[in-house]
Amino acid sequence: MTDALQDLAIALARSAQAARRLVASIALRHGRHLSGTLWRPDVLVASEQALPRGEAFEVTMADARSSSARVIGRDPTTNVAALRLETFADPPPEPNAAVEAQAGSIALAYGADGTGGITSRWGVIQALGPAWTSRAGGRIDRRIVVDVRLSRSEEGGPVLDVAGGCLGITTFAPARRVLVIPSATIDRSVEALLKHGRVARGWLGVALQPVAIPDSLQSGAGQRTGMMVMSLAESGPAATAGMVAGDILVSMNGTPTQRFRSLASQLGPESVGVETEIKVLRAGALVALRATIAARPPS
Amino acid sequence: MNALSHAVVPVPSLRVLVLAQDPAMGRKLRDLACAYGHRAVQRAGDADVALCADGATIPAGIPAVICGARSRAVAGWLPADANAIQLDAALRAVAAGLVVRSPAILRDGFEALRETDPASALTPREAQVLACLAQGLSNKAIARRLDISPHTVKFHLESLFRKLGVATRTEAVAAALEHARIATAEF
Repeated sequence: MTDALQDLAIALARSAQAARRLVASIALRHGRHLSGTLWRPDVLVASEQALPRGEAFEVTMADARSSSARVIGRDPTTNVAALRLETFADPPPEPNAAVEAQAGSIALAYGADGTGGITSRWGVIQALGPAWTSRAGGRIDRRIVVDVRLSRSEEGGPVLDVAGGCLGITTFAPARRVLVIPSATIDRSVEALLKHGRVARGWLGVALQPVAIPDSLQSGAGQRTGMMVMSLAESGPAATAGMVAGDILVSMNGTPTQRFRSLASQLGPESVGVETEIKVLRAGALVALRATIAARPPS
Repeated sequence: MNALSHAVVPVPSLRVLVLAQDPAMGRKLRDLACAYGHRAVQRAGDADVALCADGATIPAGIPAVICGARSRAVAGWLPADANAIQLDAALRAVAAGLVVRSPAILRDGFEALRETDPASALTPREAQVLACLAQGLSNKAIARRLDISPHTVKFHLESLFRKLGVATRTEAVAAALEHARIATAEF
């Protein structure tokens, strides 16, 4: 029993040691800070939703070296922001053979304490699920929920498994539940941000809510639900095409718009600049509009 | 608002310092505050309360409301798309020394796109009435906005209460805010 505890203690200390080389403290205003994770020799990743607007931030690694870090780009669809360290480069420790995340296995979440040290949290992988789509339309490779309690400043730090493999970085879901953005998702997002500075998404400029199509119009529309336009972005593609609040979107390029996910999948990076036919129900009649899908402007 | 309602309920206006890095955002916040009779001032020394956009420097010494962010340094947290009614209520509350937290901003976080079960989808009218409810409009104001009779508004509200499983208007407003957050997605 004692041996098992000692082994555990040694393993935990070793894990924390490896994490020290990954964790960065990103200085914010009013003496606050946020955590970041070293992803490539000179590239840091952070939680996009937690990183305030700004072009550059002062960053301190756990060995007290500091550097200015310029924002390379932000991807709200996967909640990844990438920053380039300007004065030094450290290769992140080679992760041990990537072990598949397993529900119930131990997860170690690390963050920056703001004074050059790291914070450690220990929990288990509470839930594990398949790939999912974020509200902003990004594909997240796995659903990983960890049962750790984090402070706001620890968001964006790495999560390691017991073998030292990096599962990803922490991010807050509603009600302060903690999700892990998986490494595979971060890799993809960082790749795109390095290449283009952004992750392009098609954009119509509408807020939509699913509604039941009134009985009298169902046969004309050929479906029972559609998406009602609740609001439009001024001079966005939908507004320019003549769409107005109250219109019920029934199809896009002939595909019925009944599910958010299918709509999101039609607005991938390749959709930008494409002219598309949109059918809406307006005052009881089916109206066809043509809209040119734009690139989503930075939020 | 007419002179009579002023005479019956004296509603003091506040001197509001609006702070935003983006001038367009600053104008929008100023207009929202002024829509409820508040007055915009230029200096913190002249202000009762500050209204800050995300990213603005928060002034010391006066209570503040921030839109689109949370900060322990300020008493009021509102979402970026807060409406005039919420803004007015928040400004008055923090000026009176209270703390304001919007459920929308507390429940903020990275989350999955959730699909609505087609069986429980609202009718277009119900969705519009619910959106008005989320903005805090009265039955009369909803009727005017949607150009329908107050009686019809009541009819839609009854059906909404049933679908949302709520019994009171207060519950319905809370459910409306939550529904607006979950069921609406931007594309």
